[in-house]
Amino acid sequence: MTGSEHEHDELDDRPPSLGPGRVLIAVYGVFALAASARASVQIIRDVSEAPLAYGLSAFAAVVYIVATLALAHNGARSRVVAWVAVSVELVGVLTVGAASLALPEAFPRDTVWSGFGAGYGYVPLVLPVIGLIYLSRSRPGRVSAG
Amino acid sequence: MLVLTVAVATLALALGAWAAVRLARDLPVILRQLVAGGAVEVALLGQVAAAVALTASGHALAEPLTFWGYLVFALLILPGAGAWAFADRTRWSSAVLLVGTITVVVMELRMWQLWGQVIPG
Repeated sequence: MTGSEHEHDELDDRPPSLGPGRVLIAVYGVFALAASARASVQIIRDVSEAPLAYGLSAFAAVVYIVATLALAHNGARSRVVAWVAVSVELVGVLTVGAASLALPEAFPRDTVWSGFGAGYGYVPLVLPVIGLIYLSRSRPGRVSAG
Repeated sequence: MLVLTVAVATLALALGAWAAVRLARDLPVILRQLVAGGAVEVALLGQVAAAVALTASGHALAEPLTFWGYLVFALLILPGAGAWAFADRTRWSSAVLLVGTITVVVMELRMWQLWGQVIPG
């Protein structure tokens, strides 16, 4: 811990970014892996089959990877990145979820976000909400042992 | 394959229950749980061996890439949770292990579905 971080901590009475936040990071890590693997498989197999859905899968994978790394790093700038990534994720799951129900013909193949994440137990819908609550309630500063 | 799927899922569920108890008691992951995780990994390796043997002798998977991807990623989950347990000596390592075991169980269910989807003929 440097002096400046310590002063920053004294000004900020929110709880440190420890504990439950680590579980959130772990779940994000799993989704980053799952979404990347799924997008890779879809694109390797036949990208022309459903370019929109497969493109969205790849985009979702990148968002999850960025969110995982930014949440884990938890520095001042990476928290901004995390805010953006988690917000994009929430907008994405709501938009794609609604669009997949309204225009099923545009999504011949599922993405992580289709049907508001129904294929993944709605975790993709709940995760960004928890992520935003976590970001607003946790204290900046590196995750450290404790 | 069914026997191995059930074995891996049961072992992972048991380890998850153990992790849940330690999470509730505010305790971190201990070495004995990592040994139990090793048992899950051994069962998973058995599943890899069985899958290799059965596909080599004619079990044609409809989605081989997806199946093998799941199997390889399932092998990586618990070592990741184990590394986490060394870095994080709080109750939250137990929570991460619990998340990991649930992930393995879900992946086993999905792999069982994929294993049943064979190319007709």
